[in-house]
Amino acid sequence: MTETLSPAVPSTAQSEAPLLEIRDAAVALKSGNRTMVSGVSLSVMPREVFGIVGESGSGKTLLTRTLLGLQDDAYVAAGSVRFDGRDIPSQGYAASARKLLGHSIGFVPQDPFSSLNPSMKIGKQITEAIHLAKGWPMGAEKTREAAIRLMGEVGIPEPALAFDQYPDQFSGGMRQRIVFAIALSQDPKLLVADEPTTALDAITQRRVIELILDRSRSHGLAVILISHNLELLRQSVGRIAVLYGGQLHTIVDAGDIGTRVVHPYAEALFACIPTREKELADIRSIPGEPVGAGFGLTGCAFSTRCAHAEPICRTAPLPLNERLAPRFSACILGRGA
Amino acid sequence: MAETPLPMVELQGVSKSFARRLFIQNRSFALRGIDITIGRGEVVGILGESGSGKSTVANIVTCLTGYDGGTYRFKGRDIATFTRRERFAFKSDVQIVFQDPYGSLNPRATVRASVMESLLLHRRDLDKAGRMERADLLLEEVGIPASAGDRFPHEFSGGQRQRIAIARAIAVEPELLVCDEPLSSLDVSIQAQILELFVRMIRERALTIVFISHDVNVVRLICDRVYVMNQGAVVESGPARDVLSNPKNEYTARLLDAVY
Amino acid sequence: MFAKLWSYPKTNIERVALVLVLAIVLLAIIGPFIAPFDPLKIAFRSKLHAPSLEHWLGTDGSGRDVLSRLLHGAQLTLSATMLVLVVVVAIGCAIGIFSAFVGGAVDNMLMRLTDIWLGFPPLILALGFASALGASLSAAIWALIFSWWPNYARLSRMVTSDILSQKFIASADALGVPTHRKVFHYVIPNALDVLVVQVALDVSAVMLAISGLSFIGVGAQIPAPEWGAMIADGRSYVANGWWIVLAPGLAIFLTAVSFNVVGDMLRRELDPTSRRR
Repeated sequence: MTETLSPAVPSTAQSEAPLLEIRDAAVALKSGNRTMVSGVSLSVMPREVFGIVGESGSGKTLLTRTLLGLQDDAYVAAGSVRFDGRDIPSQGYAASARKLLGHSIGFVPQDPFSSLNPSMKIGKQITEAIHLAKGWPMGAEKTREAAIRLMGEVGIPEPALAFDQYPDQFSGGMRQRIVFAIALSQDPKLLVADEPTTALDAITQRRVIELILDRSRSHGLAVILISHNLELLRQSVGRIAVLYGGQLHTIVDAGDIGTRVVHPYAEALFACIPTREKELADIRSIPGEPVGAGFGLTGCAFSTRCAHAEPICRTAPLPLNERLAPRFSACILGRGA
Repeated sequence: MAETPLPMVELQGVSKSFARRLFIQNRSFALRGIDITIGRGEVVGILGESGSGKSTVANIVTCLTGYDGGTYRFKGRDIATFTRRERFAFKSDVQIVFQDPYGSLNPRATVRASVMESLLLHRRDLDKAGRMERADLLLEEVGIPASAGDRFPHEFSGGQRQRIAIARAIAVEPELLVCDEPLSSLDVSIQAQILELFVRMIRERALTIVFISHDVNVVRLICDRVYVMNQGAVVESGPARDVLSNPKNEYTARLLDAVY
Repeated sequence: MFAKLWSYPKTNIERVALVLVLAIVLLAIIGPFIAPFDPLKIAFRSKLHAPSLEHWLGTDGSGRDVLSRLLHGAQLTLSATMLVLVVVVAIGCAIGIFSAFVGGAVDNMLMRLTDIWLGFPPLILALGFASALGASLSAAIWALIFSWWPNYARLSRMVTSDILSQKFIASADALGVPTHRKVFHYVIPNALDVLVVQVALDVSAVMLAISGLSFIGVGAQIPAPEWGAMIADGRSYVANGWWIVLAPGLAIFLTAVSFNVVGDMLRRELDPTSRRR
């Protein structure tokens, strides 16, 4: 049984430059220019495994896809993104970001079933990705070998045979591995996985997460793992950014959750999840309904449901993480700081 | 435990196979000779992944679907011998809450009307005013203000719709409530709310519950006993605490290991 | 409910179309009462008068007031259209809903039957009815009813099947809701959207069919002021009496287009997938 195999923040963090720096990013919808997510500032170090947690409607997928240039109906409305020492220009942001996707950032989207071409053999889908990333000079035979090797690394059984199969001949867990292989084919520095295990059963889910973590350890791959499952992240990643109502509320060490005083929403979210260790009396629900991204009010999105809320929480602007501190709490009342 | 009277539900060797055209992803959702007993007042969990057959069990217990082999005794009587009248009476003894809050309410009926319908069918003693009054009480009991009764399902959130579905189910005062993954489609913070609602109802109404879920942690929290299912068969059963901390079956052990 | 309807149009064309549809329906009802002249009264002295203050739309080859004929014709054409649609919807939906509920072999058989039936060319049927009953508006109506009902049988069967596969039907089963209640409280209310849209779109199609049949002489006969028949009648006077053809032609055109636009608008507004979750 594995407790946290803590792929922690590398100890060399202080001297090394961050791999990804997002400063005060805001995302708005193209139609109507409505701001859905705002004030997101965080940094991810090389080789770090970083988590982003948020309930549905928190804006985490919208933020991720827009920052990667994949969301057609939204755009980066404010802020800057710096990857591997280079700024992504705000003019033509989406196109520039997508170029990175081809080389240095691998993306595993939420639904693996629709991101695989059902009429193309999976081997071909992987070799195409390799070609796109590394260019043609590799030659067909070398590319095929590289693809088969990669498939073996991600745990696809009998890769040479699987190479010629079609996606619908595989189970959900296998398809997720194929998508993972495609994302890795470019040998990226950063892997972004958006809810990679929804719709998978518990055993397969654990396997896919461990696969991602193993890869990170062995290849020095930085990972951003996005999930609504706080407990999964708590056991798998080093630091967790918490999104709610389109706002970044806190960045905490996974180990601090449940042991130290943290941001009220992080605390409340953890308190309402059943885990191995808890009893029924330990579960405390959060009253009210989740607030969606773009909720349009000033102040803290969680103030309507927070047990500690004061009147100022609804009006004061939410603190931002300008200095990209590794641990941060946006609580207006300063809790969890 | 004292010698319990007749169990409420007794499935013995129940099996079900599906015709070819219902195959999904090359697996048939079959049941292979399962034995399940549910005693009055118990909260029994049926734990399994998708494809394990747990939803089929839910449908068989509520008589929404039939079975091919074995016997199903409800309160001691073989349901295959039920008369038409008994089958109708059965509907007010056993009710079900489904997983998907978005699809389980008639989009064209007001929320109060949906709850009143239960009463219309099974509480002939009540007139319309009486039904309205009871419906409002039931809505309040599940946390929906009666003033919202004239609204339609699409005006409510997922968690609220689930509450309404629960109100509709308990309106007939069932002895047994089958809950098929009632929390799985809800937001994390709402799951805890509905879980609390269930706990409260179990206590206040002395309900017998069959709780079907893939979530080990939730099952451990509210169930007295649990049946672990895998690929159409029951692989392990017993008191929830025992099974879920000291599993004897290899599949159960693997499942528990994998859960976060 | 009217307020809701009024919020649907999103462009000016749609607003105009909605107003036109309502105006046409209104005219169909009150037309005969406000018509200035007797649509059938022949007055050879006033024949082929161009539009004037006395005859707003002029007179036709037999001296009949075109405007009055148009107004009476509105009622004729539209009530014929509505009659066809009402009957077709009733029969088609009854069969379609029944088929979806029963399922299995019966369902298959009924759908094969509608398939075959849809193969009947409506025009030949119309000619058949015309020769059997004598060419008249009734013959056209019968012919259209005969050929149109399978469309609604298939549509309602598909919609009902969709509805029956949803979880709230399982919930109804768990409650022991009897079949008749399921049909009237579960299926029909949820099928209305789709049906209403289809009917709105079909209005122009049926109307054009009826007018068309009258035009070629198989439907309403002159001197009935049915719009298609009016065009047929006015054919010979196109050179010196263009208003005789233009008026009913324009009327048909505007009615067809505005019902189509409204139908499309309804389809967009009532589409459940666009409704807020």
